[in-house]
Amino acid sequence: MGINSMMDRLMRISRLSIFVILLGIVTGPLFAQTSQQRAKEIIDRVDRMLRGDSSVGRVEMTVATRQWKRTTELRIWSEGTEKVLVRIEAPKKDQGTSTLRVGDNIWNYLPKIDRVIRVPTSMMMAAWMGSHFTNDDLVQESRLARDYDVTIEFEGAREGVEVYEFLLMPRPQAPVVWGKIVYQIRKSDLMPIWARFYGEDGELKRRATFSEYQVMDGRLVPALMRMTPEDKPGEYTEMKYRELEFDLKIPESLFSLKSLRGS
Amino acid sequence: MIVVRLGWRNLWRNSRRSLITIAGIACAFAFTIAFIGLGKGMVVQMLKNGTELMVGHVQIHDRDYLPDRDLYETIGNQEGCDWHQVIAGLKQNQDVVAVAPRVFGFGLVSTGEQSAGAQIIGVDPDLEGNLSRLVDRDMLSRLRPGSVLLGATLALELRAREGNEIAAVTQAADGTLGNELFRVGGIVKTGLAYLDRSVAFMRIDDLQRLLALEPSHIHEIAIKLRDPVRAPESSRFISRMSGLPEGVSVQSWRQLLPQLNDYLGLAGGANAFIIGLVVVFVSFGILNTMMMATFERIREIGMLNAFGMRPGLILSTFLFEAFFLALLGLTAGFGLGALMMRYLSLYGLDLSRWMGQLSMLQTRVEPILKAVWNWEAVVAAAISLWVATVAAAYLPARKAVKVDAVEALRAPVMQ
Repeated sequence: MGINSMMDRLMRISRLSIFVILLGIVTGPLFAQTSQQRAKEIIDRVDRMLRGDSSVGRVEMTVATRQWKRTTELRIWSEGTEKVLVRIEAPKKDQGTSTLRVGDNIWNYLPKIDRVIRVPTSMMMAAWMGSHFTNDDLVQESRLARDYDVTIEFEGAREGVEVYEFLLMPRPQAPVVWGKIVYQIRKSDLMPIWARFYGEDGELKRRATFSEYQVMDGRLVPALMRMTPEDKPGEYTEMKYRELEFDLKIPESLFSLKSLRGS
Repeated sequence: MIVVRLGWRNLWRNSRRSLITIAGIACAFAFTIAFIGLGKGMVVQMLKNGTELMVGHVQIHDRDYLPDRDLYETIGNQEGCDWHQVIAGLKQNQDVVAVAPRVFGFGLVSTGEQSAGAQIIGVDPDLEGNLSRLVDRDMLSRLRPGSVLLGATLALELRAREGNEIAAVTQAADGTLGNELFRVGGIVKTGLAYLDRSVAFMRIDDLQRLLALEPSHIHEIAIKLRDPVRAPESSRFISRMSGLPEGVSVQSWRQLLPQLNDYLGLAGGANAFIIGLVVVFVSFGILNTMMMATFERIREIGMLNAFGMRPGLILSTFLFEAFFLALLGLTAGFGLGALMMRYLSLYGLDLSRWMGQLSMLQTRVEPILKAVWNWEAVVAAAISLWVATVAAAYLPARKAVKVDAVEALRAPVMQ
């Protein structure tokens, strides 16, 4: 074998390996991309299904703490991901107390003193209406897909039910409070089962569990959501949908400070 | 007695040297007095500021109230307590100067578009005025029902002026949103940036209503004592007082302000260090003087020895010489020190050139430092100096006395 044929073989081998490496470089992210895209697609579908373009609902909110337990009846209007209006309808003492969220801003209306108060940035982490939700939750909840990178962490059977488990990691620079969120969704009908919220230190801070799946206005939804904070055992906030209608035409003027006052 | 007289007369044989040594001791003692006095002044001032601003000397809380300041952990918990009765009982105590009840809450204060989170403190304006200097009496008197006093920075943030209406919103004890309107009665400059930024004062009953607390529910009783140093004993005494509900904890400022306590311990350590340093320096001066005194009298010592005077007595003359040296030095030093203390306690040392308005350990530190007599430390310094002087004289004197009489008589005559 002459030196030429040796070189020739070497060249062929290296050409082949270069091809294989290139293939890897090109297709590797492609696979990753598709898995991430798939995850995002599923999350988006779940989100769209539960939210609709707009919704109007009647909710019974029960808050239980170590000291007290009370139930309020809320009416909630939402449009898209950026506009929400909540009004307390019962009990009488709180009737008319309302919250308006447009984009990043939250205002509360307090009928007793007849004042609209804008919630300052420094109070975004404070409790909303005495519940275990923060003002910030009102803003963040609709923006999961925007602020987090979603990957499928687990796909298969958990306790005999086929599920997806999504891992939501905050995007760099995203203005979020959670270090990560794990979200379990039933494969068969894409109903959420639970979500776990972790702090930046990786510690579990709270869990949301979903149940009472039922059809409302033609859509299957979890009618009950229970939020339990990890650091306060025994405490919880439950949101139970009594009525829910989707894609109604809501007048733009509803999401204004004027209508917040209930006039 | 002859020994004492000899010691005294020996002192004046080289009067210039003795006077210089006396002056040295006097200056050292005087400056030690002044230094200790300024140190004590600093301590007294920090203790005063740290406690009289707001904390008081002793506080009563529910056992679980601190450090989280949970709204529900009121004194006596759910049942509350008859705090008017407790306060009346406390006032009977000889050591107690003032008592003030308090309620704490956190909430949102708002002028509408401008809102901010605030630490709301509910006070009894009359009682509070006797206890804390955070807000002066004149300002507290403007705290009428339905009004609020705002920290200066907070007011600025809200763009609130005196007489404006503001809304206060809190998470009330019954789970509702407590919300009420208040009128700004005044704007408070506490001198502490973190309070000016966040504090709002209300009348105790106003805040209780806002927070949906019963009138019997308060979070804190602060007590001012005649003598803050005795706070730990007083707090033990108060905790055994009848009429206090179950599960309360009575703490003195030493527990409530651990940083201040540590700092004061440090200041005591610094005193001991300075006294030690001065004693060492003075001892060397005495050692030198007495060494000279003994060596120049070596012939004389030999002579006394030859006459049959007992070495112990000869040694004693030297010790008495040193004793008088120290006595005169300390007396003069005390006089000088007292003069310095008089000036420093009246006019103080103006430190503003070096530090301006300063806050340290969350208390205001005044730029003028006034001295306060610290008798314990002064007496300790005097005794240490005295002992050191006599001890420094002992060494050369002992050596001289031991010298053989014949050899001593052969020594050259000095002077």
